[in-house]
Order: sequence, then C-alpha cells, then structure tokens
Amino acid sequence: MTHLIFPRRTALTTGTALIATPHIVRAQANDPIRIGSLTPNTGGGAQSGPEIAEAHRRVVELVNSQGGILGRRILLTQENDETNPEAGVRAARKLIDADRVMALLGLWASSVTLGVLPLVEAANVLLFSTSSSDDIPAANKRGLLFNFQPLNAAWAVAIARLAVRRNYREIALAGPNNDFATTLVASFRRSFEEAGGRVVNEPFFYNTTQPSFRAEVDRLLRGNPPAVFIPGYVADFTAVYRDIYRAGYRGRVFTISFAVGPQFKTAVGAAADGIMHGFPVPPVGSPAYDAFLRFMGRTPNGEVQLPFGSAGYDQINLLLLAIAAANSTDVDAVKAMIPRVANGPGERVTTVAEGLAALRAGKTLNYDGASSSVEFKPDGSLLARDFELYEIRDGRDVSVERITSAS
Amino acid sequence: MTFYLIAIATSAGFYLLLALALNLQWGLTGLVNFGVAGLYALGAYASALATERLGLPFLLALPMAALVGALAALMLAALSARLSGDYLAIVTLGFAELIRLIAMNEDWLTRGPRGLAIATRPLPEGLTREAAAIGYLLLVLAVVAIAFWALERIRRAPMGRVLRAIREDALVPATLGRDVQAFRLRAFAIGGALMGVAGSLYAHWVLSITPDHFQTPVTIITWMAVVIGGAGNNRGLVLGAFLVVGIVEGTRFLGGVLPGLDAERLSALRIVLIGVLLILAIRFRPQGLIAEQPLRHTPPGAQP
Repeated sequence: MTHLIFPRRTALTTGTALIATPHIVRAQANDPIRIGSLTPNTGGGAQSGPEIAEAHRRVVELVNSQGGILGRRILLTQENDETNPEAGVRAARKLIDADRVMALLGLWASSVTLGVLPLVEAANVLLFSTSSSDDIPAANKRGLLFNFQPLNAAWAVAIARLAVRRNYREIALAGPNNDFATTLVASFRRSFEEAGGRVVNEPFFYNTTQPSFRAEVDRLLRGNPPAVFIPGYVADFTAVYRDIYRAGYRGRVFTISFAVGPQFKTAVGAAADGIMHGFPVPPVGSPAYDAFLRFMGRTPNGEVQLPFGSAGYDQINLLLLAIAAANSTDVDAVKAMIPRVANGPGERVTTVAEGLAALRAGKTLNYDGASSSVEFKPDGSLLARDFELYEIRDGRDVSVERITSAS
Repeated sequence: MTFYLIAIATSAGFYLLLALALNLQWGLTGLVNFGVAGLYALGAYASALATERLGLPFLLALPMAALVGALAALMLAALSARLSGDYLAIVTLGFAELIRLIAMNEDWLTRGPRGLAIATRPLPEGLTREAAAIGYLLLVLAVVAIAFWALERIRRAPMGRVLRAIREDALVPATLGRDVQAFRLRAFAIGGALMGVAGSLYAHWVLSITPDHFQTPVTIITWMAVVIGGAGNNRGLVLGAFLVVGIVEGTRFLGGVLPGLDAERLSALRIVLIGVLLILAIRFRPQGLIAEQPLRHTPPGAQP
C-alpha cells in the first residue's frame, strides 16, 4: 500500500497553478516588450549585482511612465544568479523559456556569462554583461553578446604600465583561484614582461575561503620582490594583506580597486597607505555620469560611485534605444542596430527620452553612456574605457593617473 | 514555457539518477554518502574530457564516466572501510570537496575556474531547438528507466536482502557468512557508477562546466529527494526528485503572486522553504512520502 502525505491531485493542481500564474499576468499586459535582468544579488558579486538590478528597474519604471517603447510597455523580470553558473543557468532558462525575454541584461561573473552563452545562442536571445574574462570574445560566436566591461587583458596592460613607469622591474603575482584572477594574472605577466619587467616566483592562486594565508604570503614574498600584484576581492584581499603586513613587507602592493573599498580601509586602517590600485571607471564628472547618479538618488562628489550600476544603466538604455531605432523587437534586427546606436554616427544622446526625441526628428543616434562612451568592436567587446589608477594616502584614494585603455 | 518545463523535467531526471544511486548506498545499505557532488563532478569531467580532449564520441564517454565514478567510489569506500555513520559522512563530504579543489586547481586538465566548454552533443546535429530539448529529455528518461529497472532488480534480489540486513545490523549477515565489506563496496561502486552517468548526461546538457557547478547544494538536493521521497523505496524517489526540483524552480514564480518579493528575497526564501519542508518531512513523515514496503519472501515449495 502506498501512503501519500497529501492527495496527488492537490499537489498537481497547486503546482500547475503556481507555474501557470505568470500567464495570467501576461494576458493582461497587452503584449509588452519582455526583458530579463540576471544579476549576482548574493554570493561573490553581491556588492555589484543589486546596483545593476536597481538601475535596470529604475529605467524601466521611468520609460513605462513615459509611455513605453513602440507604444508597448516594458516588462522587466529580474532573477538572482547567486554568482554561481549552475544557479545562473537555471535562472536564465526560466527567463528565456518561461518569461520569453528577448534579452538578458546584467550578467556579471564571467563563469555565469560563459555558462549562459550556449543557452542564449540556442534560443537567439541577446546578452549584455560586465564580465572581463578574455575567453568571452571567442565564445561569442553568433554576436549576441555585448560586453560593457573591458577585458582582463586591458586591465592588465594598464596596471603593468603603471608599475613599470614607477620603476618596479620585478614583481611577484598571486590571486584568488577564479576565472577573473587567473586570466588577469596571465595577461599581466605578458604585458609586464613586454614592458621590460620580470616576474619573480611562480604566480599562484589561493582558495578564498581560507582563514589565514601565511604559507601563501611567505611564498609570495620569497626573495623579497620590490612589488607584488594581487588582483583579489575585498574579503580575501583583506586577509592576504593582513599577512603581508605582519610579514613586515616594505615593497609596493598593487591590486584592483574593488579589493580596497571602504570595507578594506576600515579593517586595516593606516596600514592601507601606499597601496596602488586601478579599475575601469565611469567618466567621473561627465554630465552623463552625474545625471545617472542623480537619477539613482546619489549626489555626485567627484568619486566613483555605482561602478557597475552605471554599466547596468547603459545596458537598458542602449537596448531600449536599439529597439526603438529598429522599430522592432525582432532579435536579429535589434542585434544589428545595437552597434549603430552605440557607435553612431548620429546625434549624441545620453538617455532614452533624448534618444526617442532624436528618432522622432528623423535623426540617427550615438549613445554616450554613464559608464563609458559605449562603443563596440565587431566581437561585442568594448572599444575603450577609462581606467583610473590610485594610491592610498592617509586612508583616501588619490588619483595618480587616468588612461583611456583600448580593450 | 514548454521548453522551460522540459528543462525542469530534464534536470529533475539528473537528480533522480543521483537519488537512485544514493538510495542504493544509503536507503538500502545504510552507508551515509555526502560525496554525491564529487562523484557527479567526476562523471561530468571524465565525460567532458573524453569527448573534448580525446575526441571520443559520447557513447564511449558515457561508460567512461560510469567507470570513473565506480572506481572513485570503490576507492572512497575502501579508504573508509571501517568507518560508518558520522565518520563516513565526514570522509565523503571531504571527498567531494577534494574533487572540487582538484578540478579548481589542475588547470592543465580541467581549465580550473575558467570552465570547460563542451561542444559534443549526444543528439544528432541539425535538430530544431524543440526536438533537441525533447530528445535530451527522452534520453535522460531512458537512462533513468534502465537504472530504475536495474536497481529494482538488485533490491528484490538476494543481494538486496543482504544490503538491507547490513543496514539494519551488519552483524547479522556477517554471522550468516556474508562478506559484509564486499557488499558495501559493491553498493558504493554501483552507486558511484550511476552518479558518474548522471554527471556525464548533465555535462553534455549544460555544455559548460566549472567546479562551481558541483558544490554542496547538489548533494543537499539529492538527499532531500531521497528523504522526502522515501528512503529505501525507488518509486518514492521519483516523486521526491520531481517535488524537490519543482520547489527549487517553482518558488521563482512566487514573485508574481506575492508582491514585495524581489529576486534576492526569493532565492533566500527558496532555501528556507526547502529547509522547512525537510524538517516537516522528518517530523511528520520520517519514512518519506512513499514508505519502503517490506518484501515478503516465499521460499520455493513453501505453502502460502
């Protein structure tokens, strides 16, 4: 005899009703334009995901209140990828197949972007990311992916150049064992050696969950190299830096700006002074960036705020303008229109409203964004983005130099 | 929507294979295996490397994944031969983490955190997206059916009786002259082979694997499916696997029903719901939704 905890029929009905509900919502919406936003709201990307999601949401609310695009409402469905490719792919399937979105915006971790890519290609859906893995352009076979972040190779060139220019000819390398750091370290090594530097000790990759990094740091500092470069995230970098400081290291430490945010500075205090770090930054002080900050309820203060939110803002703006310019939600038509709206030639616009006005006046567009001028190469990667290099002095980031690096 | 339901059913199929394997090891034999994710990962990587690096066809990669899974499970069982209960649980959990770390750090083989892209697909090229999705589901269901049939045979066979006896009290079959350790190894190896097969099918379905795909939640969902479905009963697992995967995926749609739930809260709520369900199941239905049925054995020639 089999015993069920509740009748099979109840289970089936409840389950079906649960799954069928979005259909009911949909039927009332009068054929909206469906867009998905897939961001890392928890896990390793939790610092960046929510601001991307918020930028998407605010733009869609604004555009809907102004009458939508092509006379249609925008239906934005948001999911959390948990900064994990397994969860991210499942969420992407739901967005593509259940919500029938035409584009996925906001992907952040390279592992998630690369994991979702085969799915997007099978279903012919657009994908906008801020992922910097050097593997992405080659994987973007059908040109459906547009990346709003320069590739690791570009970050590496910028920081390697900074180090060599300051006469650091020898450097030791380490980083967390993830896609971002491993490809970044490899690119850095190449650029640094091309510029005449030499990498000492074998680069190595640590596991971020370790409580202490003494053994790793001893290995990193063997032979007392004049400089080290550690492209980590804030939690692991704080732990690694603590052990570097304890070891009494006097050389220069280079890293990525997101490793030394406010959380890091509070944790290590005055010991942070002297660290040099760099990051692709929005054009701080530009009218488009300031307008974006005010739109998000922030006050422009001359510093980098919402570095990934600004890219999220550009993603949704660009997509909506490309749909309007293509006068269609057909993915192939929009895909062909994206580089034309992003790169021009046309009237320079920075918001959806400006763009729609220019289109009504019969002009072509050139979208200029909050995160960069948003110009794409044919492989879907960004043509160039500002890169800012800082030194921490008295607990504050002081800009050392800014370069526009080709990605 | 159809595609989505097919995808959910396909992924429930992977978990059902894992659950069937775990049921043989734990439900039937009482061996606590928290290393499900590790064996799953081994199968996935073995199959992916066989097709992508060695250029073998999928039909050869699949048995290779089974072999690797079986050998790894044998090794794991042999190493932890004298352990049981909590101690075995910790060793197996450590094993899964070990496999994940090896996949993470041996870049030359697995490409580490950058992930392994898989181009080989088990189905013929040129199918429409719909045909490919349904075809893969049918492939998974066929493998599930074969596994189900084989495991039911084992359960009813003399071997199944010995395994159950080991679960209840290993001393009894030992007293009756059975080699308890050999049976334990066999249960572990068969389960490991099946987990390897599940990994292979999964890898060629997602087409891109990283060590992050094989973290502890895989093990937890498998355990949930067995506990909720009914340990020791293969039929219960079918219900358990589909129910658990249904909850993991179905909670996404709560956002459309309950206002004020964003994606972030929903993904947290999903874990809470599963936890609550597990507690409720263990409190009110410790034997699972479909309890194990006692097998009545009638010796040949005996009067009923």
